[in-house]
Amino acid sequence: MRQHETDGGARKAVFSPVDSRARVDAVVRRLGDAIELGLLADGEQLPGESELAGQLGVSTVTLREALMALRQQGLLTTRRGRGGGSFVSLPEVPADDRLRARLRGWSTEELRDLGDHWAALSGAAARLAAQRTEPADLQPLRRTAEELARAEDAAARSRLYGRFHVELAAAAQSARLTREQVALQSEVGALLCLVLADDACREEVADRHRAVICAVQDGAHETAGTLAERCVRESTARLVAARLTL
Amino acid sequence: MGVSAGLATAVTHQEAWVAARVRGALEAVFTSVAATRADTAALLERVAAEGRRPASRDLAALRPGLHLRLDREELVSGAGFVAAPGLLADVPAWLEWWQAGADGAVRPLLLDLDPGRSAYSDYTHWDWFALPRDTGRRAVAGPYVDYLCSDEYSLTLSEPVWSEGRFAGVAAADVYLRHFEAAVLPLLRRLSRPARLVNARGRVAASADPAHLAGSLTKGPDFGELLTAGRPGGYDGLRLVPCEAVPLVLVLA
Repeated sequence: MRQHETDGGARKAVFSPVDSRARVDAVVRRLGDAIELGLLADGEQLPGESELAGQLGVSTVTLREALMALRQQGLLTTRRGRGGGSFVSLPEVPADDRLRARLRGWSTEELRDLGDHWAALSGAAARLAAQRTEPADLQPLRRTAEELARAEDAAARSRLYGRFHVELAAAAQSARLTREQVALQSEVGALLCLVLADDACREEVADRHRAVICAVQDGAHETAGTLAERCVRESTARLVAARLTL
Repeated sequence: MGVSAGLATAVTHQEAWVAARVRGALEAVFTSVAATRADTAALLERVAAEGRRPASRDLAALRPGLHLRLDREELVSGAGFVAAPGLLADVPAWLEWWQAGADGAVRPLLLDLDPGRSAYSDYTHWDWFALPRDTGRRAVAGPYVDYLCSDEYSLTLSEPVWSEGRFAGVAAADVYLRHFEAAVLPLLRRLSRPARLVNARGRVAASADPAHLAGSLTKGPDFGELLTAGRPGGYDGLRLVPCEAVPLVLVLA
């Protein structure tokens, strides 16, 4: 069920200003990831071009180039005339192929940097959480770790992976780290589908998440931070390895 | 761990006054929550009298009251009714939730509640929902990072809503911690010893003590037990004064 037109949490991050460099790519990635993650639904109409450009903080020219690229990837269709505009469309091409096409849009250096940013956020969050957590704070993390261990499809696994790290930042009692983590997950989330389809990878992530929970519970902040960083770095390394096969 | 009652008699007039003022600030928010609860209960009763189940569109009738409370109650930045899953005939779950933006405009919270698309669709485990549901009583949740609704470090005050003898959901209001601090810091600074306010689990909600900031834990005393007993106490040199009907303890170093 979609409630009104979503404006909260992860979806809000979809429509916030994109980074100033390589704006077309950033918009393509942002909207493409949102479609892949289901934050934008099949058949959903995007806001008008000037409104969308304003929300994303890009010029309309840039936005159009990005929309064009998304059309080329088959993720958007355009209808003309009254009631026309850009609509999300999930093409018949297997999701994996589209994901690989998007991974190809990342250089290994960018993936490495994404991993560095993610490790910095999650490592800091785990260290603070270990100092500031009382038992009730760990319940959401435990629930997410168990749901991840049972999740069947890659998209659900990816959402739960992201939720774990958002909950970790919330357990650190930091609104800023949490907001950063939500924004980062809107970038990394769709890519993670590629590596999480593998059951062995999913098991490993679930185990690493359980280890982070134990360290946070024990108040072992350095261990918690190191374990969270290792979890994130391992996943990023898998993404880089996948990128190098393309 | 036990709290000694040895220092209980030593509560000063000023400490009692500060605890009462803190209580008063949150009671004003609870008054607003109670109004939402009453509006919702009356609405659900009207719908039941028509011999049908409520639907999400019925909840639109709550909006004028919610907007009024967001406008009038200085501490309240979000307000609404959160339906128990299964209450409404047309949707599995629903938040009739409105927020006051920095620009003063009031906007609806628009969440994706489809579990197939959002990892954040199940709200029933959050304290602001689970505590009133499980205890049948009003509750103060937090401080916590509210990444579901506001992205703010917040307190959420909530109360169960009943319809035909069954739990129908919660009426609630959000108080951003920075606004709560602005309201209580002048009070805490009047005290002669470094003071902080701590919730039932030991989490600091506001502090005039630089060594114990908001979000940190005060470990040792059983604050839940102290709040249940409702009497001041002491622990390892700390003085502990419950704010009576609201679940916060004034802690003096």
